[in-house]
Amino acid sequence: MPLDTSTYGLALLRVDGRRWNELRRIYAQIRTQAAADGSSYLEMGHTKVMCVVTGPSEPGPRRGAGISSAGGAGGGGGGAGGQSKDAEVVVNIVIAGFSSVDRKRRGRSDKRTLEMQSTLANTLAATLHTHLFPHSQITISLHVLSQDGSLLAALINAATLACVDAGIPMTDYVTACTAGSTSTYAANDEGADPLLDLNHQEEQELPGLTVATLGESDRVVALVCESRVQISRLEGMLAVGVDGCKQVREILDQVIKAQGQKMILEGTVDKGTGLNDMDLD
Amino acid sequence: MASLKRSVDSDPLAANISNKIYVRSTKSGKVQKIVREVYLRQDIPCSSRLCQRCQTVAPKDASGKLIPFVLSDSPAGTKVFPQGHYLVPDTNAFLTAMDLFEQDSAFYDVIVLQIVLEELRNRSLPLYNRLISLTKSEDKRFYVFFNEFRLETHVPRLEGETVNDRNDRAVRKAVAWYGEHLARIKGKDVPAIVMLSNDRDNLRKAKQEGINACSLADYVKQLKDGEKLLDMIPETQDQDNIKEKRPGDNLYPEYFSMSKMMTGVKNNLLHQGIFNVSPYNYLEGSIRVPAFPKALLILGRENINRAVDGDLVVVEVLPKDQWKEPSTQVIEEDAITKNENPDAEESDDFVSEKERKALQEEVKRTHSKTTEGHAQPTARVVGVIKRNWRQYVGHIDQSSVSQSAQQGRKQDSVFVIPMDKKIPKIRLRTRQVSELLGKRILVTIDAWDRSSRHPSGHFVRSLGELETKAAETEALLLEYDVQYRPFPKTVLDCLPKEGHDWKVPQSLEDPGWKDRQDLRDLLICSIDPIGCQDIDDALHSRPLPNGNFEVGVHIADVSHFVKPGNAMDAEASIRGTTVYLVDKRIDMLPMLLGTDLCSLKPYVERYAFSVIWEMTPDADVVGSRFTKSVIKSREAFSYEQAQLRVDDSSQQDDLTKSIRTLLDLSKKLKQKRLDAGALSLSSPEVKVQMESETSDPIDVKTKVHLDTMSLVEEFMLLANTSVARRIYEAFPQTAILRRHGAPPKTNFDELANQLKVKRGLDLSVESSRALADSLDRCVDEKEPFFNTLVRIMATRCMMSAEYFCSGTQAYPEFRHYGLASEIYTHFTSPIRRYADLMAHRQLAAAIEYEAIHPSTRSRGKLEAVCKNINVRHRNAQLAGRASIAYYVGQALRGKATEEDGFVMKIFSNGFVVLVPRFGIESLIRLRDLAEVEPQAEFDAETYTLQTSGSREVKVELFQKVRVRVTDQKDETTGKRGVKMELVRTY
Repeated sequence: MPLDTSTYGLALLRVDGRRWNELRRIYAQIRTQAAADGSSYLEMGHTKVMCVVTGPSEPGPRRGAGISSAGGAGGGGGGAGGQSKDAEVVVNIVIAGFSSVDRKRRGRSDKRTLEMQSTLANTLAATLHTHLFPHSQITISLHVLSQDGSLLAALINAATLACVDAGIPMTDYVTACTAGSTSTYAANDEGADPLLDLNHQEEQELPGLTVATLGESDRVVALVCESRVQISRLEGMLAVGVDGCKQVREILDQVIKAQGQKMILEGTVDKGTGLNDMDLD
Repeated sequence: MASLKRSVDSDPLAANISNKIYVRSTKSGKVQKIVREVYLRQDIPCSSRLCQRCQTVAPKDASGKLIPFVLSDSPAGTKVFPQGHYLVPDTNAFLTAMDLFEQDSAFYDVIVLQIVLEELRNRSLPLYNRLISLTKSEDKRFYVFFNEFRLETHVPRLEGETVNDRNDRAVRKAVAWYGEHLARIKGKDVPAIVMLSNDRDNLRKAKQEGINACSLADYVKQLKDGEKLLDMIPETQDQDNIKEKRPGDNLYPEYFSMSKMMTGVKNNLLHQGIFNVSPYNYLEGSIRVPAFPKALLILGRENINRAVDGDLVVVEVLPKDQWKEPSTQVIEEDAITKNENPDAEESDDFVSEKERKALQEEVKRTHSKTTEGHAQPTARVVGVIKRNWRQYVGHIDQSSVSQSAQQGRKQDSVFVIPMDKKIPKIRLRTRQVSELLGKRILVTIDAWDRSSRHPSGHFVRSLGELETKAAETEALLLEYDVQYRPFPKTVLDCLPKEGHDWKVPQSLEDPGWKDRQDLRDLLICSIDPIGCQDIDDALHSRPLPNGNFEVGVHIADVSHFVKPGNAMDAEASIRGTTVYLVDKRIDMLPMLLGTDLCSLKPYVERYAFSVIWEMTPDADVVGSRFTKSVIKSREAFSYEQAQLRVDDSSQQDDLTKSIRTLLDLSKKLKQKRLDAGALSLSSPEVKVQMESETSDPIDVKTKVHLDTMSLVEEFMLLANTSVARRIYEAFPQTAILRRHGAPPKTNFDELANQLKVKRGLDLSVESSRALADSLDRCVDEKEPFFNTLVRIMATRCMMSAEYFCSGTQAYPEFRHYGLASEIYTHFTSPIRRYADLMAHRQLAAAIEYEAIHPSTRSRGKLEAVCKNINVRHRNAQLAGRASIAYYVGQALRGKATEEDGFVMKIFSNGFVVLVPRFGIESLIRLRDLAEVEPQAEFDAETYTLQTSGSREVKVELFQKVRVRVTDQKDETTGKRGVKMELVRTY
C-alpha cells in the first residue's frame, strides 16, 4: 500500500507525485452521443463522467428523481414547474455501481447524489439563459463511470461542455475544481500548503472544498466545503481553487474550439453562419 | 501568500503518467483492486549539496520556500570508499537493523527511497515512525528520495515478476541513477553510492549491474568502530542456509496460514486474543477471548508455541480430554486473573450468535464445575497475528557463557535473561561477551524459529553495571516505557525567551493581563510535601461580610506557556505524566516551566488559573467561578510546617487563621464525601530515606498522615469536580473526564468469603456507600492494622480509574466510584499531568478566555490522548512502585531485621505476607520453611495451611506473623529483592 498524505512535507510531493499547485490530467470530448442534443465525456485523472443534455424541450411527465432548479423543491413540486417563465434545469446523476473500488449500488434517493444534483441544478440555472426558453425543460443526465475524487467538480465541467454542445445560450463557461490543504484539521499546522485538485485518497484524509467560477472572472458560482478546516487556511485554498478553475477553463475552451474547427473542416457547419469571429488556428 | 499562479514550465499535461495497480485485502476479507495515478516528473532533486543542477529545479512550497538540500558535500568515507559515500539501504536493512541507523557514530548521509519507506510502512509502523523521525533530524542527514515519481527511476512491474523482485529492481535502478547523476558533477571527487542489503540475490544482481553494494555486516566491518556495531546486526539472515539443511528437527508445530486462521476465527473454530503469561509460571499462559467469560489456559512450551507475552495470537481450544484438572497450586491461575488485560482487540462480530452461545455454554458449564474439581478448558496457539515485541532489558546468563568466549573475540551464543519474568530467555550472538557480562543490557527479539527452543535476538546497547543506580534506574524506565531522554531542541525552543528571568508583566496593559484577575493581594499559600519544587496548587480563604467564606484554589497556569500543537505540547502529550522515582523525577515539561515559571513559588508573582467558591460555614458551596489570575503566594509550607502552625495556638496571624478555616471546611467536606459513599482506600505506602550526600538509601519510613494533607486533598477534589461539571456543560461531547467504574460484584466474592469465614464479618458491596460502611466495621480491637489490611485487599478488587472523552460514555458511566462523585476530572496538577493541561484548555474556552483549539475538541484526537495517558499513568505508577521496591531492597542490603507481617493470601504451597513497615509483600513457599519441604494440608474452606513433618506450623489468613526480612539477589532476573522467612506465628 502506498504512503499516505502525511509524507507531503518530506519532499513537497503528493501521494500521486504532483506538486501542490498541479491539476491532474484532464481529458475531455464533446459530441460523444450523436443522437443527443448535447453530450460530453470528461476525465479528471481517474474520475470519469459522461453527460447528456436533452432540451430545451417540452416538459415531459414529471419524474421524481431529478432535481430541478425552478420552483426550488424537486420531486413533488405540484407540476407547476414546467409552466414557469424560465426553463427548468433538471439534473439527474447516476453513479455506476462499478465506479468505485467496492461495488456498491446507490439508490435514487441517495442523499449525496441528491445534494450534488441540487448544487448542479442551481449552479447551471444561474448561468444558462433560461429566460429564453419559457415553459420548457433542460434535462442534464450525468453518468459517473469512475470515481477518484473531485467528483462534483468533474460533473460541473462535463455539464458545461454538454450545454455548450447543445447550443444552450449561457453567460460563460462554468468551470470547477477542488482545493485542499496538506494537513488535517486537527493537526492545526500553520504552514500547511494549499492543494489543487484532490484525488480520492486526499479527499479522504485532508480537508477540501469544491469551487466553481464563471469564465475568466473571479466570480464564484458554487462553493461547497464539507470538511472542517481552519478559517486561516481557507483563503489560500480558495485562491488556489479559483486559479485552478481558470486552468480548467483554458482546457475546456481548447476542447470546444478543436471540436468547432473539426466541424467546420468536415462541413457540418458553414464557416459563414455566425461563426466568422471564431478563431481557427 | 506570495503568488498562487502556476509556473508555466510545469504543465501537468507534459507530465508522464503511469498507473500503480495493486491488490489489497480488507479486514473483512474482501479483496480490492486499487488503481492509482502516478505522475512522473524530472524535477525531484537528488538533494546533494554538491549538485548544482538540482538546485535550479528544486521545488518550492506555497509560500515560495525551498526545502534545503540534505546530503552533505563531504560525506564520511570508509576503508573501501575513501572519497566518501551516500548510503541507500533497502527495506530489509531497515527492518532488521533500525538500531544501527540510529547510531551516532556512523550512518550519516542516507538516501531513503520512497519504495523502501512504503515497504517499511507496510511491514512495521513503529519502524516507519522511527525512520520518519530520523529523516526529520537535522544532523543525521537522511533524505527521502521519491524514486517512484521520478521519470528516470520509475520501474514498471514486468510480467511474471514478483513484487519483491520489482522493488529490489527499483532500488537498484535508483542507486544506478544516483551514481550517474552525481558523476556528471565536474571537477570534484563525487561520493560513491552504496546500496545496503542483506538479500543475497539482490547483492548478486547489483554486482552484475556494476553497482556498489554491501551486506550490512560487510559494510559495518569497514567502519571504525565496526566491531561493536556488528553485534547489532541480527544474525537470523546467516542462518538461512542452515535452516534449509535440516528441516526435520523442528521443536514447535508450524503456524497456520493467515487465511486459515482468519477463516477459523470467523467460524468461531479458532479464537483470537492477546497472550498473557503467568508471572509465577512462564510455561503457563492465558488468553481472554470474547467468546468466553473466563480466560483460556495455555499450558506448556508446545502449546504456547513461540508466543511471547503481549502477542496477538490465534488459539484453538483443545479437545475435552486434554482439559486440565485445576491444579491445587491455585497460585498460577489466581495470578493470571489478576494481571488480566481486558483490552481484547478486534473482536469478531461475524460469529453466528447461536454457535457462540453453544460454545459459551459449554465452557461456562466447565468453568462452574472447576470449583468441584473438574477440568478447565485449555487451548494451544496456532498462529501469531501480530508480535508485540519491544526492547527488553536483561542480563547475560553467566552459566550460558563458555570459557573461551570470555576471552576471545569470537562470536558466541549466550542467553539473556530478561528482567520481566514473563519473557523467555533470549538467545544472543555477540562478540563482546566478556564486556557485557555483569551488565544490564538492552536487547530485542528478532525471530523465533520452529527449530529453536528460545527466541533469538540481538544486542542494542549496554546500560551499565548490574546494580549500579544509573543502570538500574534506566532499566526501570525502559521496562515501563518511560520517555526519559532530555528534551529535544525543538521543545526547548518553545520556552519563553527570557528564561528564568521571565516575570509577570508590570503593566496591566500587557496582553498577558488580558481577562486576568489581579489576586495579588490575597493571602495565598501552598502546602506540599517537603522539597516539592513543582508547586501546582495554592489556596486561600477569607471571611465574607455575610458570614460565608470565600475559598480559592489556584492552579499553575501551564496552558499559558504550553500552547496546543507546538513541539512542547506534542512532547508533553507523549510523556503524559511526570514520573516520580525515589531518587529521580522524569518531567513531563522542561525544568524551566515545571520548577520555576509555572510553579507557584512563594514571594513571586505567577500566572494562575483560579477556582473560587463562596462557602457557608457548613462547607456548602453557594457559588463558584473560574478565572485566570495573577497571584503572589505568601508562603510555601510543607505539610508538617503547616500542621505545626495550625496546632500552635500562639500563632494568630491572618495567614494561619485562613489555614485553620480551610482545615475546618475541609473536614466538613470530607465528611460530606464519606456520607455520600466515598471510599477511603489504602495501599501500603512507604518513603525511602536517603543519605543526603551520597543519596544512598538508609532507611524506610511509613508515611504519616497529617490533617493538612487531607486539607489540600479535599479542596483539590472539590476543584476537580467543579471544573468537570463546567467543562462537561460547555463540551458535552469532548470534555476530558476521569471515571472509575464500579467493580463487578464477583471481584469481591473471595474477600467477602474470607472475611466471613475467618472473622464472621459481612462485606456488602451493593454500592460504594455500603462498601465504605462495611469496611468501617472490619475492625479487630487487638490489631489496629487489620482494618488497613482489609482496605488494602479491597483496593485490589477495584477497577482502575481512567481518563475518557465525555462523548464516548453515557452520563451514568461517568461516575467515579471511589470518590462517589457523579463527574470528575483532573485539573489541579497541570505541571505533572497532561490530562490536567487539557482540562485547563477546555475550561479556558468554556469561560471564553480564549478560543478553543481544534485539537482540544477533536474527539478522535482526544480519545487517542486519553488512551495514551491512561497507559502512561499506569506505567508511571508501576515504575514508581518498582523504584521504591528497588530502594527498599537496597536499604535492607546486608541487614536482616525481624518484622511483623500479615498473611494476606494463602495457597496450597505457600502464603503471601505483607510487612507494613516496609510496604512490601512476599511469597513464602513451603520449601522455604525448612530444609526439607514439609508436608502440608491445605483447607481451602477455612483458608488454613497446616504443615507437618520437618516443621510444624499452622498459618491462617489475616494472621499476624513474625518474619525475618533480608535482601537477596534473584539469580534468574538479576533483580535485588526482598526475601522473607517465617520466624514464628503469633
